[in-house]
Amino acid sequence: MTLESEELEELEDYESNFVMPGDFVGTTEEYIPGEGTYMYHGNIHSLVAGDVVVDDNSRSVSVIPNTKTPPSIKEGDIVIGGITDVRDSVAIVGLEAIKDEGEREFQESRPAAIHVSNVKDAYVKKLSDEFAPFDIVKGKIKSAKNLSLSTSEDSLGVMKAYCTNCRNAMEKDNNKLKCPNCGKTEKRKISSDYGTGII
Amino acid sequence: MNNEPTKFIDENGLRVDGRRTDEIRPMKVDIGVLSRADGSCYLEWGNNKIISAVYGPRELHPRRMQRPDAAVIRYKYNMASFSVEDRQRPGPSRRSSEISKVSSEAFEPVVMTQFYPNTVIDVFSEVLEADAGTRTAAINAATLALIDAGIPLKSLVSACAVGKVDGQLVLDLNKKEDNEGEADLPVAITQDGEITLIQMDGHLTEDEIKQAMELVKNGCQQIQQIQREALLKKFGQYEEADTEIQSVPLTKKSSKQETESVDTESSELISGNILSDESSENREEQETDTLDILEDETEQSEDNEDDSDEEDFFVEIVRNNTEGESDDQ
Repeated sequence: MTLESEELEELEDYESNFVMPGDFVGTTEEYIPGEGTYMYHGNIHSLVAGDVVVDDNSRSVSVIPNTKTPPSIKEGDIVIGGITDVRDSVAIVGLEAIKDEGEREFQESRPAAIHVSNVKDAYVKKLSDEFAPFDIVKGKIKSAKNLSLSTSEDSLGVMKAYCTNCRNAMEKDNNKLKCPNCGKTEKRKISSDYGTGII
Repeated sequence: MNNEPTKFIDENGLRVDGRRTDEIRPMKVDIGVLSRADGSCYLEWGNNKIISAVYGPRELHPRRMQRPDAAVIRYKYNMASFSVEDRQRPGPSRRSSEISKVSSEAFEPVVMTQFYPNTVIDVFSEVLEADAGTRTAAINAATLALIDAGIPLKSLVSACAVGKVDGQLVLDLNKKEDNEGEADLPVAITQDGEITLIQMDGHLTEDEIKQAMELVKNGCQQIQQIQREALLKKFGQYEEADTEIQSVPLTKKSSKQETESVDTESSELISGNILSDESSENREEQETDTLDILEDETEQSEDNEDDSDEEDFFVEIVRNNTEGESDDQ
């Protein structure tokens, strides 16, 4: 029923390397169960349909899925979200999408946060000079555990902002944003991709 | 009803549709048929036609139904109004709600729900044509759809029914046997032989149930084999192409022109996967193109190089994959 216990180091035959959920991939005496595996009665089984990979340094065995996988937020991911609140030292972001993960919904309902220290390399006097509610921002995940974002790169920051006076979409005007409707200028941490929609 | 009793098993031991008593109906499986679903599967089993779709894990509304420690599996079994001879009234019925409940419980022990707290995994099984044993067929399809969606499962779930006609136990009832037979016993089991669903309609003695379980375990194993073949066909070959692309420029000294062509193909392949606008047909075309090129290359390499290169090539794959993994962590 399950695949025979094969010498995993000898990856001679491709098909022996491919496993499906429930397949035996090794024992706990041999390996540490890694990603995509689970342990049952001292045996390591696969959780997904994919290829068995043995890490010789850590002696861990994992299964890299060949299927689509539910997207999850990892450190270093580029994410897009909307600013929901700007406080003294932190801006709150409601996450909407992860770059390169397609349209599949991700299972993160917590809001993310941009701390003043992660906004840009320069000194930030007032956070309200960098973000305003309803802005669409692009950020990089600094920590996936507490969902902290950083925008201290040229391509990161506000992608689209709305005038706080008349709610019109603002246009980039040198280092500031200008409202084409009422002429108001506002300061933001502007992304180099502002207004382009390029993520 | 007929006055003369119908004969379900003839003198040769064959049933009304020509099967032996321990034979299942032919099954056809197609994985990944819906472009908008996260995972999907179309399954034909005899005259049964089922399409199963998986969405999620995604946020569960209303919030009070969320489980803070695990995902909720929401399984919906539905029969299309045209799936049976007399039009079925659309919408949920007593029967479909019951099947949905027991089927979701059939998956609960195998899905790693603890990985996705506060979410829901939606499974929709739509019966397009019904010919007895739709709940078992729907479970078989849903298992493959869950794997297609990349949801971690501890085991495959295979389901099959066993019943009694003419006082004899038969595997995988067809419509006539189901309607006019004496008993029907649908069962879903995991790879370890753990029973995750069992129901019974009609009457069986204790001995008959024991025999029936043996019979149905055998049937489920046959189905599991079909599921495994379908998975291997869908995901085994595909990734082979993918890993080979990674390692071609590294290990095999192919001419630059060829490498370039493979690279462009692979980037197209990747973008094709990301863009949901791209139809799945296009994607398949691209995949086959890539495969063709790769086949050509492997033929060449076989001519020129010996087996030692083959080993290097797999080591390379492992290295690539482990690097990718450590990046993730």
